[in-house]
Amino acid sequence: MKNLLRSVREYHMNEQGVRHGLIQGVFMCFFILLLLAPAGCTKKAEEGGTTLHFVTWKPNIPEAWEEIYSIFRAEHPDIELVKEVGPHSSTAFHDLLTQKLKNRSEDVDVFLMDVIWPPEFAAAGWAAPLDDMFAPSERKEFLDGAILANSYNGRIYGVPLFIDSGILYYRTDLLEKYGFSPPRTWREMVEQAVKITSGEAGKGVEIYGFSGQFKQYEGLVCDMMEYILSNGGNIINPETGRSGIAGKHAVEAVRFVRDNIIGKIAPPGVLTYQEPESLDIFIQGKAVFHRNWPYAWEVSNNPKRSTVAGKVGIARLPHFPGGRSYSTLGGWQAGISSYSKNKEAAWTFVKFLTSERIQKLLALKAGRAPTRKKLYGDAEILRAYPHFSGMKDVFLTAYPRPRTPLYPAVSNVLQRYFSKAISDPSSDIEKEAVAASREIDRLLALTK
Amino acid sequence: MKLSSLSRERIFALALIAPCFLFVVVFAFYPILYSFYLSLHRIILGIPSLGQPFTGLENYRDLLHDRIALHSLANTLLFVFISTFLEILFGLIIALVINRHFRGRGMVRAAILVPWAIPTVVSSQMWRFIFNDQYGLLNYILYGSDTSRYSAWLADPVYAFSAIVAADVWKTSSFAALLILAGLQVIPDELYEAARMDGAGAWQRFRRITLPLVKPAILVALLFRTMDAFRVFDLVFVMTQGGPADSTNVLQFYGYKKMFTEGLMGYGSTISVVVFLMALAVTLLYIRVMGKGMLKAENA
Repeated sequence: MKNLLRSVREYHMNEQGVRHGLIQGVFMCFFILLLLAPAGCTKKAEEGGTTLHFVTWKPNIPEAWEEIYSIFRAEHPDIELVKEVGPHSSTAFHDLLTQKLKNRSEDVDVFLMDVIWPPEFAAAGWAAPLDDMFAPSERKEFLDGAILANSYNGRIYGVPLFIDSGILYYRTDLLEKYGFSPPRTWREMVEQAVKITSGEAGKGVEIYGFSGQFKQYEGLVCDMMEYILSNGGNIINPETGRSGIAGKHAVEAVRFVRDNIIGKIAPPGVLTYQEPESLDIFIQGKAVFHRNWPYAWEVSNNPKRSTVAGKVGIARLPHFPGGRSYSTLGGWQAGISSYSKNKEAAWTFVKFLTSERIQKLLALKAGRAPTRKKLYGDAEILRAYPHFSGMKDVFLTAYPRPRTPLYPAVSNVLQRYFSKAISDPSSDIEKEAVAASREIDRLLALTK
Repeated sequence: MKLSSLSRERIFALALIAPCFLFVVVFAFYPILYSFYLSLHRIILGIPSLGQPFTGLENYRDLLHDRIALHSLANTLLFVFISTFLEILFGLIIALVINRHFRGRGMVRAAILVPWAIPTVVSSQMWRFIFNDQYGLLNYILYGSDTSRYSAWLADPVYAFSAIVAADVWKTSSFAALLILAGLQVIPDELYEAARMDGAGAWQRFRRITLPLVKPAILVALLFRTMDAFRVFDLVFVMTQGGPADSTNVLQFYGYKKMFTEGLMGYGSTISVVVFLMALAVTLLYIRVMGKGMLKAENA
């Protein structure tokens, strides 16, 4: 070892003159590059045109969005639109977007917001209030629930782009074959599913009764809320403003899901499903009933992707006896970053994106339900999506998730509780509900 | 003249180390210290009106009473224990095999390193497909085309946890093997020849020669694997998101959720600091043990 070191040192000494200079030179270059690098990154686009950064997610139907971008580019040659595509999952997209906003990134001008984010984005100061630009007269053109979702403490922070609400999809051919009409109560749905699946199994056809979203993630809250509300329970008690999940009706609904749906009419695998996996089962003809958002209509009736195209019906979600049907409100909004240097151009883009013609394009080409009331009477849209007129009141009455700036934290508690309650047959639902309630109340108390 | 050239050399050496040192300070020391600073404050991004009050050790006290954090800690420790044990075991077996001379050894050695060369995110996604309930390879291998018996592995708390361990073991056993192989290669053949002449059997040679001499290498592998296992995150993130029912929730993932999803910067930092301290403690322990082992080996 010592010998080796000595020889290395001698080698260096012999060639010191040449080598030192060379290595030091390389070093200096490296250092200079290191110092210059950040400057290079923040270099602004050429003067004259405005560069507009739009943070969006990976769409289900990219062609429709490409068309929208090209229309905008043609009409606004002075604005250079740069899109940044984030992940498809709402939670993952939230983490990416808020990371940028936390750092006050100037590379975000316009972003898409899930319906549950405006209170958080408003309270944290990330979303710019749009009251000056988004006039009250203009707001009247939109669905009331969608406007409410974008309001926080009397100001408005986003413009609704499209709306989502939970819908029951079913196989028209199978229900007809067994002489059923779409189920009105959850119990009815379970009974129909059992009859159909056992009848089909007798003929050697393997089919499940139901598929939905029951993985531990945001979608679980949406699905479970529909069961709880349709049994007369609630997530947050509107009178007391405290958690309602430990209430009798809420616990009953959760128990129903565990005992009658998971691993019974639905495969146990639904505990790992988000929207795409649960829809796959349905469009492969392997489920009688399916709960999803409106976009599933487009996919399940597309003969290229679906084996059940033309055999799909939709209905309101069932409810429990004595309750009424509830759909969870979803949907996406366009917001403007508080740190944007191009608020005017940003508003031009937001106005364009949420305009009547673009919403119509999104409805026709991507199956997205519009947020402008007028479009529900549009002949062209109704021809392509006859169910939009029948489902209009579902969109109008869709129920929002709890509105609080701490929603992500509340949601995580709910996800954990629901996942535990439905995936573990031996879990004590009452006890878990009380524990989760206490955590939610503690979080809600922080914002008061 | 000589002295000045030596000191020049020393300055040059310092200059060489400087960027590396700077790198460590900026990207390791500073974030750790800053995390510690954050962990002493209550910072909730959703409620900026709260400010950033200094709360002392309150976050740490809350952590002790956080049943989900404690559950995640138990999961993490179980994961560290089982996965490291299996990785070292398989690593040793693999190393012993590829240390022998046989035709195509080069190929086998390269092949064994493939899992380790695949980014964890990619391999996690791959394992997620393997365990899928509808089209997963595992179900196909077990039940063939009898789809009625297909099982939803990741929907069951015990299987889901085992799946994560399996994916980690598959991926990093080869890394352990590589380190142990390096240890095996420095054992002189003469020792084995001498032992054989004295009539030692294969097991005896393994027990008395291989194992004691390869121990330092095993300890190094153990150290690396334990530290990595403590920081398990990507497997959970891709494969299960902590579900079902928190059965695969580990501390790092819980901390990530607190910090990046819920915006609880102070509390999230507290969790990272605790993970860091635990990994540090384990490392110090190993280094002490290892240091002693090394000394003994040298004296002998």
